[in-house]
Amino acid sequence: MLEVSNLEVAFGPVAPLSGVSFALDKGETLGIVGESGSGKSLTAMSVMGLLPLSGGRITAGSIVFDGQELTTLSEPAYRRLRGGRIGLITQNPMTSLDPLQKIGPQVDKVAVLHLGMTAREARARTVEILGTLRIPEPALICERYPHQMSGGMKQRIVIAMALAADPDVLVADEPTTALDVTVQAQIIRLLDDLVKERDLSLVLITHDMSVVAQTCDKVVVMYAGRAIEHGPVGAIFGAPQHPYTQALIGCIPKGLGQDEQLTGIPGTVPTVLNYPKGCPFHPRCPRAQGICATDRPAHVTQGDSAVACHFPGERA
Amino acid sequence: MTHQLEVRNLSKQFSSPGGPFRRARVMHAVNDVSFDLPKGRVIGVVGESGCGKSTLARLILRLIEPTTGTLHFEGQDLRAKSAAEMRRLRADMQMVFQDPYSAIDPRYTVARAVMEPFEVQGRKPQGSAAEEVDKLLSMVGLNPGLAGSYPHQISGGQKQRVGIARALALRPSLLVLDEPTASLDVSVQAQIISLLEQLRDDLGLTYLFISHDLSLVRYFCDEILVMYLGRVVEALPDTGLAARHPYTKTLMDSTFAPDPAQRRVIAPLEGEVPSPFNLPPGCAFADRCPQASDLCRTQTPELAARDGHAVACHHPL
Repeated sequence: MLEVSNLEVAFGPVAPLSGVSFALDKGETLGIVGESGSGKSLTAMSVMGLLPLSGGRITAGSIVFDGQELTTLSEPAYRRLRGGRIGLITQNPMTSLDPLQKIGPQVDKVAVLHLGMTAREARARTVEILGTLRIPEPALICERYPHQMSGGMKQRIVIAMALAADPDVLVADEPTTALDVTVQAQIIRLLDDLVKERDLSLVLITHDMSVVAQTCDKVVVMYAGRAIEHGPVGAIFGAPQHPYTQALIGCIPKGLGQDEQLTGIPGTVPTVLNYPKGCPFHPRCPRAQGICATDRPAHVTQGDSAVACHFPGERA
Repeated sequence: MTHQLEVRNLSKQFSSPGGPFRRARVMHAVNDVSFDLPKGRVIGVVGESGCGKSTLARLILRLIEPTTGTLHFEGQDLRAKSAAEMRRLRADMQMVFQDPYSAIDPRYTVARAVMEPFEVQGRKPQGSAAEEVDKLLSMVGLNPGLAGSYPHQISGGQKQRVGIARALALRPSLLVLDEPTASLDVSVQAQIISLLEQLRDDLGLTYLFISHDLSLVRYFCDEILVMYLGRVVEALPDTGLAARHPYTKTLMDSTFAPDPAQRRVIAPLEGEVPSPFNLPPGCAFADRCPQASDLCRTQTPELAARDGHAVACHHPL
């Protein structure tokens, strides 16, 4: 349904993203996971064709959606696709909703623009979608303003907007980061149900490995603008090959109480202006050798997984 | 004296005065909270936003004044102290804030920031100021070469280490940690948590650890207090215990393990956290609770302990 290969993005002379590849089938959930500045949101922006807004451009690679190349698509054509067959859910529901407009008209607009519905048809559809998202009294909610609702409810409205044009692919950029844990669990449950019921493809961007473990079929681990490891979640969590993936999993408490020891990763995440040469992880890597500081590791494929490391392998 | 800190029936109400367009309202931010913090232990306070956990942290240091209740620190009645006495006492009880970006003056160098407590207290370190800066920075794993840097020149994790060094400057015995890792990346969070573990062992510190992250609290703390809408709804003397309050169970079920083999079935949770301005009568969780009965909607359950495990619920699990 969606295939990204060797994507490279540049802002002027700076290349914050390179060598990002993944593929997503119908009904699948793919997690893109990484710490701040790893390029996960940029990947989402690239797929949505929103890079020009912030002055970036795709310098290499391709994004193919349902057989159609997106990197060369014209803006009017992209506009039909975006919000239509590809929906976006952003991190902060407050910035996705117009504070001066009631909920109803905001959601209606999607069906009017993308499906050519009349206002009356669109409203009926809005009420129906809000209902399927388990929003109580959907007709009443349509008359409310965003500030009258809780964060979790606003995020449901944003999801309703993304669903209104019946998309094939949903891109969710940290959809639960701004929410409390119990609300996060409800939104995750909702997204899971939507993927199953509508046979959607979901790209879930998150910094939280636990959320990936809970919901995704596949995962791409990003670090400093590179996809350093990807594959099915079972393989990536069960036998991670990249030292960064291993360390990242080691940073999260597993609920074993006194028996475990969190290690952390020495040093800090590099910012885009000082991405290290060679393997971007080498300054923090316990396995790093001379070659890691000079040569970029290529992706080595093994079964459905791939890893970009000179010395891959399970933790000793 | 066994307890470092004794908190009894602590409450804080914020009132907003009425005006021409709105009625006067009272918000119950913290409601009748009691607990003991023994020396050398780590108690975690966990809850979602608006449950009163940060207010509780500030009340304990009397950064804000409690409405009712008592506070004893090392046997001394904190509420009987004057502002000047309280300031001296705070040398012994310090706080680490959530956001290291706003906790440190952007115009101060790292050295000045960690020495600020001496300035405030009108005290001198044992050795020279430069030696003290070196000592404090090494204590928190920072390169003493950073002493001349400004906050904007260092990373978020380094800033939080500066925040911890500053809290340690006057060698306190109690640290109140208010979400010290919430604004950090996970790899840096794990570094800070191991630093705090090591400092606790080396310096014999007592911690009150405020967090929204139950798995982190379970990992880091000895005991857990679960808060919901200003009240402690459950006090677990051991982090491995199963939940007895339905809210704690919901919180535990909403916390995922980093292991696809341990996926959870997420049970639906109806409703929203009620507004702290107009608390419903009875148990605050009743409207969202699968176990709720009529009793829950009329009578507020008291916190009752069995084997040291206390729960405020009419129908505990």
